[in-house]
Amino acid sequence: MYSCVKVSQFPREKENLTSLSRSVMEFGEESSPALAFDKDAFELTVEDVYDISYVIGRDLLKISSAGEEVSDLQFRIVRVLEMFETLVNKYNLSLEELKMERDNLKSELHRIIQDGSSAQGAQTVGPNQLVVDLTDPNRPRFTMQELKEVLQERNHLKAQLLLAQEELQLYKSGILPQAEPALVEVDLDAPEPADTATESSPAATDDAKAEKTTIRKLFSFSRK
Amino acid sequence: MAKKTYDLLFKLLLIGDSGVGKTCVLFRFSDDAFNTTFISTIGIDFKIKTVELQGKKIKLQIWDTAGQERFHTITTSYYRGAMGIMLVYDITNAKSFENISKWLRNIDEHANEDVERMLLGNKCDMEDKRVVPKAKGEQIAREHGIRFFETSAKANINIEKAFLTLAEDILRKTPVKEPNSENVDISSGGGVTGWKSKCCS
Repeated sequence: MYSCVKVSQFPREKENLTSLSRSVMEFGEESSPALAFDKDAFELTVEDVYDISYVIGRDLLKISSAGEEVSDLQFRIVRVLEMFETLVNKYNLSLEELKMERDNLKSELHRIIQDGSSAQGAQTVGPNQLVVDLTDPNRPRFTMQELKEVLQERNHLKAQLLLAQEELQLYKSGILPQAEPALVEVDLDAPEPADTATESSPAATDDAKAEKTTIRKLFSFSRK
Repeated sequence: MAKKTYDLLFKLLLIGDSGVGKTCVLFRFSDDAFNTTFISTIGIDFKIKTVELQGKKIKLQIWDTAGQERFHTITTSYYRGAMGIMLVYDITNAKSFENISKWLRNIDEHANEDVERMLLGNKCDMEDKRVVPKAKGEQIAREHGIRFFETSAKANINIEKAFLTLAEDILRKTPVKEPNSENVDISSGGGVTGWKSKCCS
């Protein structure tokens, strides 16, 4: 039964191969199917397998007259070639699928990266906006208002310093009266309530009684 | 009664593009010195110099502004208190000259109406790099009815003359009266107020 099927198949195969060889001969490229034998196994296409089948079939025809053993071998070779065809076909299809999948993933990745960067860009940098590198030790940190306040304080202190320097210069050159007499002057002019007397110079207490002085001393001491 | 340290206080302001030499002009006037290293002014600074004009001691408080646009909001708040404004450009920098109109507009917007203005074309020692002819400076000054000098802080040309002229122009329109209880107002936008003298009667 098994061999019967094969037998019936083979003549058809033979017919195909013969017509193929004829058409190839018409183009004058009889040697080209044999090139498939020189190819790298992973580069074989189904057409190459057909070329190989053609060459083997042609060679088998030359010895087909030999008898039963050769005929069986022919069927086995056909079977092997069919398996070879299936494998090459399957391999090439898988390769193609993997390539397509790879390309899809590549474009997907590219799209995601682009989306990500444009989304990030939209969040931080609009027109008239600045990106601040948080790792830069010299990055801008303070507001204009803060700078304004610092500058005002600096200039205020500078003005006070200049004023103090000027005043010091005047005291040094003797244009302004010395500090101590000025203090006395103020003391004399000012109305002098008892409380302030207590706080004032020890000279004021000299006139008072000893007892009062002690009290005053104690008082002023306790007040300190 | 102690002697006063000055009779009048004038507040002046220096404006103009970044790098034209405002700080150097002021440094030459206040300290009679010049420094070639360029340090951009941060926001606003000031110096004080007392001069004597027509027998009066005049204390000049001169505000030096940053020319950079980013300090604009800080610097413009100091225009209001100024009695005299010096607008400085650089004769070797055409852009700084073109921007004069922009600075004049700033004055119109932010300064007192009666502020005394003056135009200075600085760096006039650098004749080989000049791109703004003196005549152009004179012309724009004439158009706006303001005084003009070409100066050099480096070579000390016209610096003192410019400041004294501006002070004289302000003095001329200052009503003659005894100044009392004036102080230097260091806050922005304040007018000329007093320098508190603690020594007088």
